[in-house]
Amino acid sequence: MTAIPYAEALDRYRANAGGFPLRPDDATIAELIAAYHPDSTGGKAIPLKIGVNAGMLCQPQVAALLQTNALIEDVDIAGAEILNTDILVIGGGGAGAAAALTAAGEGARVILATKLLLGDSNTVMAEGGIQAAVGDDDSPQRHFEDTFKAGHRAADKELVAQLALDGPDVIRWLIKLGMSFDVVGHRPFGGTLKRKTPGGATAPRILSYRDFTGLEMMRVLREAVGLHRGIQVMDRSPAVELLSDERGGCAGAVVYSLEHHRFVLVRARRTILATGGSGRLHLNGFPTSNHYGATADGLVLAYRMGAKLREMDSFQYHPTGIAHPAHLAGGLVSEAARSEGAKLVNGLGERFIDELKPRDVVASAILREIQEGRGVSRDGQTGVFLDVPGLVAAKPGILETTLISLAHLAKKCRIDPTAEPLLVTPTLHYQNGGVAIDTHGQSSVPGLFCVGEISGGIHGRNRMMGNALLDIISFGRRAGAHAAEARAEAYSSRAGIGHIHDWQRQLTLADLPLDARGPHVFPDYGNFDLVADAGIGPRAAE
Amino acid sequence: MSDDNVSLVIDGRAVSAPPTASIIQAFSLSGGALVSNVGCMGQGVCGSCRCMVRRDGSRDVTMELGCETPVEAGMQVAFVSYFQPKRPHVYDLEALTDSWQILDAMDETFPQAKSCRHCGGCDRACPRGLDVQKGVEYAVLGDVQAAREVFTECIMCNLCTLACPERIRPNHLGLFIRRALAALTLRPQELMRRLRQIENGTLTVDTSTVDDTRS
Amino acid sequence: MTGIKQVLLDPAIQIGADLTTWLSLGGGDGLKAAIASPAGALDTVRDSGLRGMGGAGFPTSRKWEMLIASEAHDKAIVCNGNEDEPGTFKDRHLLEHTPHQVIEGGLIAAVATGTNQLFFYINPHHTKGLAAMRRAVEQWLVHDLLQAAQAAIGKSIKLAVVESSGLYIGGEETAVISTIEGGFPFPRRKPPFPAQSGVFGAPTVINNVETLANLPHILAHGAAWHRANGIGDAVGTKLYSLSGDVLRPGLYELPMGSSLHDLVFVHGMGMLSGKEFKAVFTGGPSNTLLTKKDLDVALDFDSVRARNSRLGTGAMIVISEGTSIVRKISEYMDFFANGSCGQCPPCKSGTYQLSRILNRIDAGDGSDGDLAALENLCSILPGCGRCALIDGAVTVVESSLSTFRNEYVSSIRRRD
Ligand SMILES: Cc1cc2nc3c(=O)[nH]c(=O)nc-3n(C[C@H](O)[C@H](O)[C@H](O)COP(=O)(O)OP(=O)(O)OC[C@H]3O[C@@H](n4cnc5c(N)ncnc54)[C@H](O)[C@@H]3O)c2cc1C
Ligand SMILES: Cc1cc2nc3c(=O)[nH]c(=O)nc-3n(C[C@H](O)[C@H](O)[C@H](O)COP(=O)(O)O)c2cc1C
Ligand code: SF4
Ligand code: SF4
Ligand code: FES
Repeated sequence: MTAIPYAEALDRYRANAGGFPLRPDDATIAELIAAYHPDSTGGKAIPLKIGVNAGMLCQPQVAALLQTNALIEDVDIAGAEILNTDILVIGGGGAGAAAALTAAGEGARVILATKLLLGDSNTVMAEGGIQAAVGDDDSPQRHFEDTFKAGHRAADKELVAQLALDGPDVIRWLIKLGMSFDVVGHRPFGGTLKRKTPGGATAPRILSYRDFTGLEMMRVLREAVGLHRGIQVMDRSPAVELLSDERGGCAGAVVYSLEHHRFVLVRARRTILATGGSGRLHLNGFPTSNHYGATADGLVLAYRMGAKLREMDSFQYHPTGIAHPAHLAGGLVSEAARSEGAKLVNGLGERFIDELKPRDVVASAILREIQEGRGVSRDGQTGVFLDVPGLVAAKPGILETTLISLAHLAKKCRIDPTAEPLLVTPTLHYQNGGVAIDTHGQSSVPGLFCVGEISGGIHGRNRMMGNALLDIISFGRRAGAHAAEARAEAYSSRAGIGHIHDWQRQLTLADLPLDARGPHVFPDYGNFDLVADAGIGPRAAE
Repeated sequence: MSDDNVSLVIDGRAVSAPPTASIIQAFSLSGGALVSNVGCMGQGVCGSCRCMVRRDGSRDVTMELGCETPVEAGMQVAFVSYFQPKRPHVYDLEALTDSWQILDAMDETFPQAKSCRHCGGCDRACPRGLDVQKGVEYAVLGDVQAAREVFTECIMCNLCTLACPERIRPNHLGLFIRRALAALTLRPQELMRRLRQIENGTLTVDTSTVDDTRS
Repeated sequence: MTGIKQVLLDPAIQIGADLTTWLSLGGGDGLKAAIASPAGALDTVRDSGLRGMGGAGFPTSRKWEMLIASEAHDKAIVCNGNEDEPGTFKDRHLLEHTPHQVIEGGLIAAVATGTNQLFFYINPHHTKGLAAMRRAVEQWLVHDLLQAAQAAIGKSIKLAVVESSGLYIGGEETAVISTIEGGFPFPRRKPPFPAQSGVFGAPTVINNVETLANLPHILAHGAAWHRANGIGDAVGTKLYSLSGDVLRPGLYELPMGSSLHDLVFVHGMGMLSGKEFKAVFTGGPSNTLLTKKDLDVALDFDSVRARNSRLGTGAMIVISEGTSIVRKISEYMDFFANGSCGQCPPCKSGTYQLSRILNRIDAGDGSDGDLAALENLCSILPGCGRCALIDGAVTVVESSLSTFRNEYVSSIRRRD
């Protein structure tokens, strides 16, 4: 693939600075996406061979992972410690925290088990903001319509409507917990929330806190969870299998203590999976913006137990990931930069797309530039320019007041953001599909709820900026409240991993390998081997 | 590995990595099992990768973020696990309903703050370079807005809490103030209007307005 | 015990805070000798070979000389009675049972160095010792001997009992100074050294309780007498705090240079429950471990140093084969982690991280990587703090790792 060398591209960029011409474009959005989006150009989606969604198209790497054998066998958990709780929440991001707080608020006993530490998540990394239709020029109806359309009309309407309608209350809930939002001027009481327009929206709807909204959200949630007497947090305890009862319902999970190198069985009346997304699978060889724990564990476990999935061939590549320097590749430049007015410029010094189009469109357009040789190459990394200097010129002081994280990032790239544009390229960002749920976050498996990025149906085939932070709180709270209603029910009589036998039968009958095991728990460059770490030894079956 | 690589030691592991790599990346490249002290992996917002760094030829040991610090030849690095105080400062934000009580509630929950020794341990501990000590001082003086500002970019790595000899838990104090201020004073008017419209049923969502032919 | 020379612990002088009794038993003679010739007192102490009993074993006369050399009007001597580390319990005994011995020692030091401020810095946890010292000092304040001492140096001498914070770190020299000045026991950066600028800027010497308690005897009986009390090249007697897995733990005063074997097997009457001897933590658990092959070592500063360890305070915590080294180290590291003050974050984080890893290994949850991580910390941390706490903590870990690696390894293997 050819590209324009950095020095040359920089000259053209400088020559046009201030008035980049927008190149006319006859391609329709559908054509652009079909020709350049990694969902279409990457590994071709294949039908799943086994499980409830057998026959459904799925991204091939994800399909391989979904169709793996369990990490553990029955013997491995014999004699393991057993904990009992009303609600088990798996995942310490925003969705898990919201679910845990709500369930505990209803009086349920909650255990929250998470892979890394509470708060180490995609949530804490979110920068741009959260959508909620609060403006007088806006409405939940518009929010619904924008979201549904941006998702290419593939979403579950009921879920989208619920999301839009919950928005304002979610913001109030977060404020009550102590989360700050930017206001216009200096009037918190009776003031006006600062709003930005996300790509694909018909009204300004993004609420934010500086450009580290997720950090502000997550540190508040983490503190609230940590101080709640009804919630026991198990850090460094990834779930490696779900527990099933005699009717195929979910009865808790097997978690592995990384600190103590042993398995713990957590029996629960209801289980809420909030394990987030899958960016660290680096689908189609892309770098990712996601946190280290985003390896689709929950998705794999839920599917193995029989939960229906949807849109598993649809992933979001954020248009502006860092392309150069290499060691920061994939790191996110928040959409906030484009919302504020930053332009994308190719190696010829021209704009090539309306920067505020939906993400899949903008990402496809960037990939088109790169594939057609109009990208910029620097030290072997290729991308296009994000015109931060132009933005700073138009809005002096913006790096100090609003785009603080961007300034920090530029520093790490060793770039003066007032003088030099950033080199960006799409980065694997979000799992659009996931476990199918109803408006309570209930999956098709009794006793199993799935909320947050693990779930599917809310964003259709493309998520708008700011709708993820909204969905994790909206549906996290819904699932927490609904699950808590079960706190007086009896425990199922059995809680084991019997369901994996049925799974292994399916694997064998479909001629799928038994020695490929999942979930991954950590990316392969994590150099972690559960079997060795837990000392569960070689298996006779292999 | 190329000749440009630098050699360093991370948690006892001899590591060789390109000089652009972060400490975390270098550790992973070397085949080390990376199962803790990592979260956002590069963004510098989760605080999990806190580590002690001693540079070649220096006696100083500094506190840094492993995902943001590039490796250097001869560096020695040790990760520091998350510090969980045995007795955290417990409060119930929901019970704090009267904004006149903010300072009292702060004193009650963080009584040690008044006895800050100005030792600067927290400042030296902070990998984000925040003026932690100043933040505590502002809080004690009642300048809650200034205290709030100081902790705006705190990533809750808890190193200042580990350092503080008075068990002040500076970052949690800062977060308490931030939370209390938002919970008690942030009342955006358009949000209040919108909530009323939704709650009295005048605003709903009609799902039939859009056709569902996929695009 | 017969045949054992008891000087500081001589039963006859364990009389508490009554000054008249102290003087009637020969107390005061040493001070009078010093008053008669302050310069001679320095010579005597130099000739006696007295060294600091607070841990470092630095020659006492050398410290004094720095003070004497100063022209400042105000100078200070601090009697360090903070004693807080595990396994040391000698100073508290002296303070409680023979406070005048300590105070007279302090006055001798003041006279010899021309010092006008004498602070007795006492750990408030030693409630009895603190009370005894208070009562004892009051009596000196109105006694002629104090007047005579003041006349000898031509300044009025201030005597004060100061409570320490009760924190371990408060025993470090510059932390002592901070505390006396009314601050938190934060160690300070050196230089300036206390002898240059100490309590409120005055040149200051800090002497351990036991160090000072030796002075009345040395001045009364002479340097040669003192030297003769030791074995071989070692001088005087030493208080050994013996604890751990021995039959008869306790405080023993033996000639300096007595062998470890004698202390443990003769005075301590051997190992508890007939277990094998394994090791000794010397001088507060911050030195290199002594093991079986060191049983013959003479317990004096230089001989212990020759085995790459330190006599320190003379504390000897004995470990038998029935006791886990890893567990002990892990306990001590909790102590250091709690005791680190935090103003030097790497010391605080370092001890915390060491303690966390050690706890994990002790619980049987360690991994091979943990051993490497421990060694890594031992290589990074030394010198990262303003005081020696971190260095002591590292020394004991390093020593146990090299000498008892097998114990670490088997703790780790346990889970396989
Ligand atoms: C860089 C970045 C910026 C973003 N910016 C925005 C934005 O501005 N606006 C917006 O709306 N959205 C944004 N998003 C998307 C949004 O942040 C996420 O989709 C959302 O936070 C997901 O929340 P979650 O709780 O479902 O998952 P996460 O927050 O990722 O939490 C999942 C948790 O589960 C844990 N976990 C994983 N596997 C296991 C296991 N096996 N056992 C136990 N625990 C496990 C993880 O460690 C983690 O703690 C952004 C995402 C990224 C990566
Ligand atoms: C962390 C730390 C704690 C100490 N605690 C004491 C103590 O409790 N008592 C003491 O006499 N010396 C203690 N010391 C040693 C003193 O710093 C000092 O060396 C000693 O008081 C000098 O007296 P000496 O010369 O008579 O031994 C400590 C040193 C360190 C580094
Ligand atoms: S203020 Fe404390 S918790 Fe926050 S970043 Fe600094 S050291 Fe970490
Ligand atoms: S570490 Fe604690 S005592 Fe020291 S300056 Fe900071 S807040 Fe004050
Ligand atoms: S890994 Fe999150 S701050 Fe470094």
